[in-house]
Amino acid sequence: MFYRRAGIRHTRYQDERQIWPLPFDRGLVIAVFLLALAAPFFLDRLYLVGYMLPWIIWSTAALGLNFLMGGAGQIHLGYGAVIAIGAYGSVHMVRSGIPFEIAMIGGGLLSASVGIVFGAAALRVKGLYLAMATLAMQYIVDFVIVHFPTISGGTQATIQVPRVSFLGLAVVGDAPTYYVALFVCIVVTLFMLNVKRTSLGRALAAVREKDYAAAIIGVNTFRYKLLAFWVSSFIGGVVGSVLAVCYYRAISPDQFHLELSIQLVAMVIVGGLGSVLGSFFGAALILFAPILLNQAIGFMAGGMGVAISTDLRSHVPLMLYGAMIIGFLLWEPLGLAKIYSNIRNYFLVWPFRHARQ
Amino acid sequence: MDMLLIAELSINGVFVGLMYALVAAGIVLIYKTSGIANLAQGALAMMGGYAAWAFATLAGLPIWLWLPAALVAMFFAGALLERLALRRMVGQPIIMVIMLTLGIEIMLRGILPGFFGSSVKRLDIGIPTTPLFVGELFLNRATLIGGAVSLATILLAILFFNSRLGIIMRAVSDDQTASWSVGIKVERAIALAWGLSAVMATIAGVLWGATQGVDWSLSLLLIKALAIAILGGLDSLPGVVIAGIIVGLAESLATGIVDPIVGGGTRDVVASVIIVLTLILRPHGLFGREHIERV
Amino acid sequence: MTIKRRTFLAGSAAAAIASQFPIRLASAQDNVIRFSMPQDFTRVYTFVTAEYSQGQRDYLTLINERGGINGHRFVADVSDHGNDLPRAIEAYERAKSEGAVLVDPLSTPVARALVPRALEDKINMITAFSGRSDAADGSVFPYVLPLSPNYWTQAGLLIDYFRQVDGDLSGKKICFVHIDTPFGKEPLPILEKLAESQGFELLAFPYTPPGNDQSAIWPQVRRARPDWIMFWGAGVGQTVALTEAIRNGLPMDRLSSSVWLSESDMEVVGAAQAAGVMKVEPCVSGREPRLIQDILAEVVGAGKGAGPEDKVGTSYYNYGVMLASLMVEGVRVAFEKAPDGPVTGEWLNAGLRAITGFDAEGLIPPTTITPEDHQGGGQARIGRWDGEKFVAETDWFSANQDVVWEEIRKYSAEFKETGQ
Repeated sequence: MFYRRAGIRHTRYQDERQIWPLPFDRGLVIAVFLLALAAPFFLDRLYLVGYMLPWIIWSTAALGLNFLMGGAGQIHLGYGAVIAIGAYGSVHMVRSGIPFEIAMIGGGLLSASVGIVFGAAALRVKGLYLAMATLAMQYIVDFVIVHFPTISGGTQATIQVPRVSFLGLAVVGDAPTYYVALFVCIVVTLFMLNVKRTSLGRALAAVREKDYAAAIIGVNTFRYKLLAFWVSSFIGGVVGSVLAVCYYRAISPDQFHLELSIQLVAMVIVGGLGSVLGSFFGAALILFAPILLNQAIGFMAGGMGVAISTDLRSHVPLMLYGAMIIGFLLWEPLGLAKIYSNIRNYFLVWPFRHARQ
Repeated sequence: MDMLLIAELSINGVFVGLMYALVAAGIVLIYKTSGIANLAQGALAMMGGYAAWAFATLAGLPIWLWLPAALVAMFFAGALLERLALRRMVGQPIIMVIMLTLGIEIMLRGILPGFFGSSVKRLDIGIPTTPLFVGELFLNRATLIGGAVSLATILLAILFFNSRLGIIMRAVSDDQTASWSVGIKVERAIALAWGLSAVMATIAGVLWGATQGVDWSLSLLLIKALAIAILGGLDSLPGVVIAGIIVGLAESLATGIVDPIVGGGTRDVVASVIIVLTLILRPHGLFGREHIERV
Repeated sequence: MTIKRRTFLAGSAAAAIASQFPIRLASAQDNVIRFSMPQDFTRVYTFVTAEYSQGQRDYLTLINERGGINGHRFVADVSDHGNDLPRAIEAYERAKSEGAVLVDPLSTPVARALVPRALEDKINMITAFSGRSDAADGSVFPYVLPLSPNYWTQAGLLIDYFRQVDGDLSGKKICFVHIDTPFGKEPLPILEKLAESQGFELLAFPYTPPGNDQSAIWPQVRRARPDWIMFWGAGVGQTVALTEAIRNGLPMDRLSSSVWLSESDMEVVGAAQAAGVMKVEPCVSGREPRLIQDILAEVVGAGKGAGPEDKVGTSYYNYGVMLASLMVEGVRVAFEKAPDGPVTGEWLNAGLRAITGFDAEGLIPPTTITPEDHQGGGQARIGRWDGEKFVAETDWFSANQDVVWEEIRKYSAEFKETGQ
């Protein structure tokens, strides 16, 4: 009823292969896109800077990680370090006078070239061992950044990001920074939506399912594993530069520690491995759940007079954050994307009970 | 270089390494029986520390009572964790299981400080702090005793694997389906492994908590323990002892010799470098069984 | 049906927009001054935040119970940012939209990241014992107010105290055991300069964060046979450092820390064994000060305390009272300057930067904040643990400020040059 699927018959292969074959979905995407574009005009600054901007940036990062984890099946517990390399690389480039557009790509390339070292571990080990290897590399990158004052910026260990312009637009104030982040996010999203339909995406899927089997059917696993790390790290590096320039505006090493890596993995898992939409859902849930829980508990403690100690009150979001990850893994391992698709399937055939597919 | 200093650092490193190895042994125990890498082992150590503190301070028990009480409580906590959360993950991809244990770690890090208070807690196990000198050589009583207790615990675990129950657990680790078919209660064996590993974590938590006080940072023992477990081989208990000694020595000597040169605390990086090198040179560790994969 | 779908789409879009409309608390509520205190209760600063925040809230309750300042009452928005920047930035933006005039994040990474925003938005950011040390230079950082001696000053004070005791430091050996983070390495330039000018030998020993294992560090410290030892860390690193120092048989009365040492650390180490160790005291600790007595009588006694009563009067609790009293004094001065407000960040800033000779009824040294000096003169005293409490070893004093300010100006100039 809502989706009006009846009577849609594809007569050409192109139609069949569309990303959104249903007009309803297309309409929804356009509406969301227009809303995102118009956000600076109707959203309060608090929501624009405090919610939309980090959401977009973290979603882009989650997409980059999802490409590797969901697309190629490689575990990465050091994505925060990859982002750090991009952030530091591009900020140093910008500070030495290189235009931001080039510095952004440069940061991406720098991340990609270091990220491929993480990938080299993936050639040797997989699964749990790969998780450990990337974890270890996260620590090594952290150590290098902190211990080279030329990278981290002297005693204060903070580098200010200078004012930059992007494609002729001065990245100052709320709206321009938002649009830059949105632009990068859209580019990455389009790439992610389409990659599954390319030979690269199919080769990666083969590697994900079983690398030996992939090798037997003629997929060069060596090449595609490294390529997966390269692409994913490149996205990470670009996100790092966006994060530094548009959101943090001053970077210091502790912004990119293991917590960021774990946060991103949690986003990918909670959102749904391999799902583009899931990355957005996961980022929203992991980023905002602690904030909203904190406010809800603060409201309960303040407004309704529920007397709980400060320690307990401040730790409840952490408990629920952990509980949420556990809960999703136990009851909905396919993540929020699956929940969305369940709801969508329900409405696809509403008022009937069962979907045909 | 001062030979005496090197001797001090070496002795110290060996015993500290053994204390880390105790946490690693818990990871190995679980991996050996159920093939799950438990990234919540550090959090279990923290939980053990808190449990010990609760029995000692809140309940006011003497040490010969609170220690067994904490161990028993943690045994059941570990088994319960397996029953409620991990058992449902059988057959799920490895990343899901890793993430689940990370989720448990995050949750425990919220629950325990949330209910018991986040300030650092004192845990006294009665090791005197007066310095101990053998000639000119300084020995750290706490690490000596801690290392010895850890070694004894790990040896007990190795002995246990030669008992009847241990043989059952070895069978489970070899082939779960085959064990099932000969009437072994596989679930019970795995739950037992979790309980024992929680007990080991508790001993580690008490030993470390006595030095640094009990708070959430006990869960950071995880990284070092992982390095040791990987170096020794994820399914080898004797490997953990050797790897613990190697990692402890390397770190201690790095602190003494490399730190002054690079002007920074290299300790954690040593652990990371050990992980990376092990995985590149010998992925299954020094004593681990090589994993043969079939298509 | 086409229309129906369109209405559905339009309706959902409208709903999405409507739900986003700000549901604000009445920000311009009459006679309320809003302080925002997003702090780290759960991650890194757990050792201090609970007590610090308790002190702040108790003091604000005290002032509110007495009728506020100029008929204005204080509202403290306490929340947890977990040392996580997106959460901290959200809290900051929320504070801004609710009309807060002051924010106190009590976290170095958060404070550093919020500096550009605070300067732009003209919201006073308190960075007591955290944040950028060069923020003491008020001419570059007008809206960033440490209101407390920074780490460079603390290091300078300790060196000067050592000099006072020994008479002359030339030829002496001072060990600096520090956590290997930017925070731990911060005092190094000051110490190196002082080592050069006063002729002592400086040995630095970094340990890996968070410092739960320092057993390989302290034997080296003992072998160096130092005349004085400074240990520089926070939380767990401090208790482990002390424990190891005791185990190595180092003389406790030659051992000193920055402001980050508290009664609960001593409890963990063993109160009696640690007797003799020293710390920098930015304010009086214990329950003797007048203000703490008042809080005990009027706030805690009336059942309005913000936390457990036994924490009242601990070092970190008193830090909280100290900072809250400085904030409130800033408000008082601001009302003196502009009695009719309006209550804005700029208005409070004028007050905070004109605090003169304020001593919080004997709790803190007489503090004067000027538009140039946001540190408040850099005064503190040395306290010594006697087994039960910290006892003042010196009077309030200030030392080596020339070297400190040289460093402050160097970095603030750099910030000015590259930051904007």
